[in-house]
Amino acid sequence: MKRSGIVFFPAFDWSLGDTHPEREERLLYTQEQFFEEGVMELPQVKQYAPGLASMHEVLRTQALFPSSKQHDLAAHLIAAGSAIVLGDAWAQHEIQNGFALVRPPGHHSGATVLGNRGFCTLNNEAILINHLRTKYAIQKIAVVDTDVHHGDGTQDIFNHDPNVLFISLHQDGRTLYPGSGFTHEKGGPNAWDTTLNIPLPPGTGDEGIHYVLEDWILPRLRDFKPDLVINSAGQDNHFTDPLASMNVTAQGYGKITELIQPDLAVLEGGYSIETALPYVNLAIFLALAGEDYSQVKEPQKPQRPLLNFQELKRYIKELKVNNKQANPQWTIREEKTLPSGKWAYIPHSIYYDTEGIQEIRQDRVRICDQCGGTVLIESQNASTGDKFALIRIPFNACTGCRQAGEDLWEDFKGRKTSVLLQNQFQDLIRFWDIHEGVRNL
Amino acid sequence: MHPKEIQVGIDVGGTFTDAVLLEENMILEKAKVATQADNVLGTVLQALEVLKIYRKRVTRITVSTTLITNAILQNNLSQVDLLLFPGSGMTLNSLTWPVPYQEMKGELDYRGREISPPDELEWRRLLNRYQELPESKVAIVGKFSHRNNLHEHDLALFLRKHCPNLELSLGHEWGQTSFYRRSLTTYLNLACAEIYQAFAEQLQQAVAQKGCSAQIHVLKADGGILPFQKLRPIESIYSGPAASVLGGLAQSDPGQSFVVVDIGGTTTDIGLILSGEPLMSIHGAKIGAFSTLVRTLAVRSIPAGGDSTLLLDDDDFKLAPYRLGPAYCLGGPAPTPTDAMCYLNLISYGDRAKAELGLTQLLPEEKRDPLHLHQLSENILIRLADRIAQAVESLNQEWHEEPAYKVWEVLHPHDHKNFFIWLSGGGASGLAKALSARLLTSVKIGDYPEVSNAIGAALARPTFSCTLHLDTFMKRYRIEETGQQGEWSGSRKPHKEVEGFLQEIAGKIANDQGIELKETQTQPFDFFPVVKGYQTVGQIIRGSLIVPPGVRGRLKP
Repeated sequence: MKRSGIVFFPAFDWSLGDTHPEREERLLYTQEQFFEEGVMELPQVKQYAPGLASMHEVLRTQALFPSSKQHDLAAHLIAAGSAIVLGDAWAQHEIQNGFALVRPPGHHSGATVLGNRGFCTLNNEAILINHLRTKYAIQKIAVVDTDVHHGDGTQDIFNHDPNVLFISLHQDGRTLYPGSGFTHEKGGPNAWDTTLNIPLPPGTGDEGIHYVLEDWILPRLRDFKPDLVINSAGQDNHFTDPLASMNVTAQGYGKITELIQPDLAVLEGGYSIETALPYVNLAIFLALAGEDYSQVKEPQKPQRPLLNFQELKRYIKELKVNNKQANPQWTIREEKTLPSGKWAYIPHSIYYDTEGIQEIRQDRVRICDQCGGTVLIESQNASTGDKFALIRIPFNACTGCRQAGEDLWEDFKGRKTSVLLQNQFQDLIRFWDIHEGVRNL
Repeated sequence: MHPKEIQVGIDVGGTFTDAVLLEENMILEKAKVATQADNVLGTVLQALEVLKIYRKRVTRITVSTTLITNAILQNNLSQVDLLLFPGSGMTLNSLTWPVPYQEMKGELDYRGREISPPDELEWRRLLNRYQELPESKVAIVGKFSHRNNLHEHDLALFLRKHCPNLELSLGHEWGQTSFYRRSLTTYLNLACAEIYQAFAEQLQQAVAQKGCSAQIHVLKADGGILPFQKLRPIESIYSGPAASVLGGLAQSDPGQSFVVVDIGGTTTDIGLILSGEPLMSIHGAKIGAFSTLVRTLAVRSIPAGGDSTLLLDDDDFKLAPYRLGPAYCLGGPAPTPTDAMCYLNLISYGDRAKAELGLTQLLPEEKRDPLHLHQLSENILIRLADRIAQAVESLNQEWHEEPAYKVWEVLHPHDHKNFFIWLSGGGASGLAKALSARLLTSVKIGDYPEVSNAIGAALARPTFSCTLHLDTFMKRYRIEETGQQGEWSGSRKPHKEVEGFLQEIAGKIANDQGIELKETQTQPFDFFPVVKGYQTVGQIIRGSLIVPPGVRGRLKP
């Protein structure tokens, strides 16, 4: 039995559209199931009221461009705020673990936000993590993303952060949105090997996922020795999911939770709202609370053929080799216009499927062996042509990187449409735009 | 000119029973008699005698009684068999079941669809038992039966056919979502039916024999009243705290926000009034080891009152959670907080010399002087005030930490309110100062603190609640409060017509319960489009019509 907290925030008055998967109905049956079973009545369970994240908490982690006012954030702020409520309860030892059973989700939302992508506008876990680091000085954090889609947003946010181990297991990006999350994506130059992507073949099933966890992920977690483990608990590996085909059952999810033993789980995707969610959510939370989930049974049985287990083991072995042999994906350049030091240059682009926005990104990080390195992200909205910049001075920043960040801020503010300084070291957020000049947020 | 409203309110408390006779909201008579724990009926009749009610044409008698509360806490209940259709999901023993049960096969899902049918062989085996015990009481409860009563209904039909003398009670009649609470509520309600029936009938007869034709009402945990024949017995638990809250409401100006603190002999009850409306608990009442679906005001009862026994505890004292008898200053066996009040001249009754003698027992010999006695008395009241303050804070926290499931609710949190304390009960005047100092707010005491609960009972009005759950795709509707289930023949995406539908059903239910629907509030409806393959194929709609707890006018001076 574990003292477990839960925030249940189904956003019953919010949707991304009448028939959109992210609609009012999504957690309705989960509510019915939880309330009818009496989950909140378990003596070790405490239900918390949802919270509301502040803009400061958001901007410490993500840069909203052109500015936060241009985004419809209410529901997202509550989802992130609710994760924070549980995080506080965990950090203050009120609970041993917790489940933020909230919508909307967040793991596709990255370091820069020009709009909604993959139903996500704010990254609930990332905002939670940086809140806990700021408030309680928690040092090392691991995220295990078990959503069937690659947690590309979370990876983007912590790509240069050596103190955050990001692990995503998902259906191979060649067969599923967002088309990323390959083994060679292993983190930036100062945080090499603190990102682990495990793209799995369709049909992996319970046995396969449990094998990957025990064989690969758990050892990595043990080596990293995190102070906090967060599970991005998407539910679309379920065998009834309309888009993915991973063949995992509700009890399989219970076992996943038992293996990872997350301190905090945050709901991500999963849109099989009738045949999966009520059962998967139940199994996950019972596993967290240390209760028997062996009687949680969805009415249907898995029908799609399972991948042969020996075949899967061979496949995983290959993945491990690929992962080990992967080469860095950046180029090191002396940049005359940038503050002193060596800068890694990583250009890429991001597509916002919900709103059809193409973002062109030029990421740079200062090579540093003492801290995560100051990050400069130049972003451009390809359709409007608006240009933005994010400057991040990381937690634990060294003197050189702090100075580099301040210099970049002085240099960039006034030049683009808007610029954000994310000084995580001092917990200071400064925002500049052409309309209102510099503001402390 | 309409006939005069003559109302009687009786609150049977743990120590004393208070009663008032009101004419047009003015007090004509008051009574306070000792509660005979094993004779509630006798106690009520005695209080009615003292009130001299038989000289008046009393229109209504409202009783708040501990009868059922005590029957449950003392396990003075009828034998009931509990048959469950638990289906799959969380295992039953994850929760603590205070009573035995038997599991039956058959499963429904959260929309009331049948996943697997019951097993008739299993049912036939039940007959062996019930043919031997043909007058058994049997509670039948299924998981998700509040969405579809099919299995409960069929089993009941089967049992009735073969054993017509069984007394059956079905879970779906408690239509809120919680299988565990529904099971225990159905069980308890059946288990206390007999004792309640006997009390109500005897009371009605006794009153009628004296030529009084007043309608007898019973106060419920949610602060509402119902004619005793219409009440489900279990709903009469915790009417004492409800009476305290209504008493505070009846004696204060409308629209205010305050904390009601009723200091009794054995317990202190605390409730919260927000802009003139008592705070309802979002959970059902919990009594002893039973979690129920009984709608209740959000209240706290703490086992500390004016007559709580004070014990020596090393070189300190301790407030025991029980009462041995009256205060020492009133001839009782042990020192109590009332003795501290008496010693400090905060109350006008009791023998101060006796109070001193009683309190002295709590001091070591070298400290038995006026200075230390004074100090001790103040400390006793500070300690009691602190216990009460903690409960007030916990209640306040419950209000602030209510879960929210909609964006709108989170963006519009409760306003901060400046509460005052409304004190009632025997120890009210004695504790006012200490409580005011501890909670840093002002304290008000009415003109009749000793019969405040009875005033609350006398002036209580019916509450009403009718919650619709409509699934237009499944073409079924349910009413949470009564368990009524039926076919929906309207449109798949109805709008305004749902409101009319709810009002029509509510009207029928109110009529059936003998309630005149006034001052109803309609909660905004929740609409959930039900989507299949990117097509909206129906809606799930939830909405309710309520009359919140309140009083029929204010007490007139």
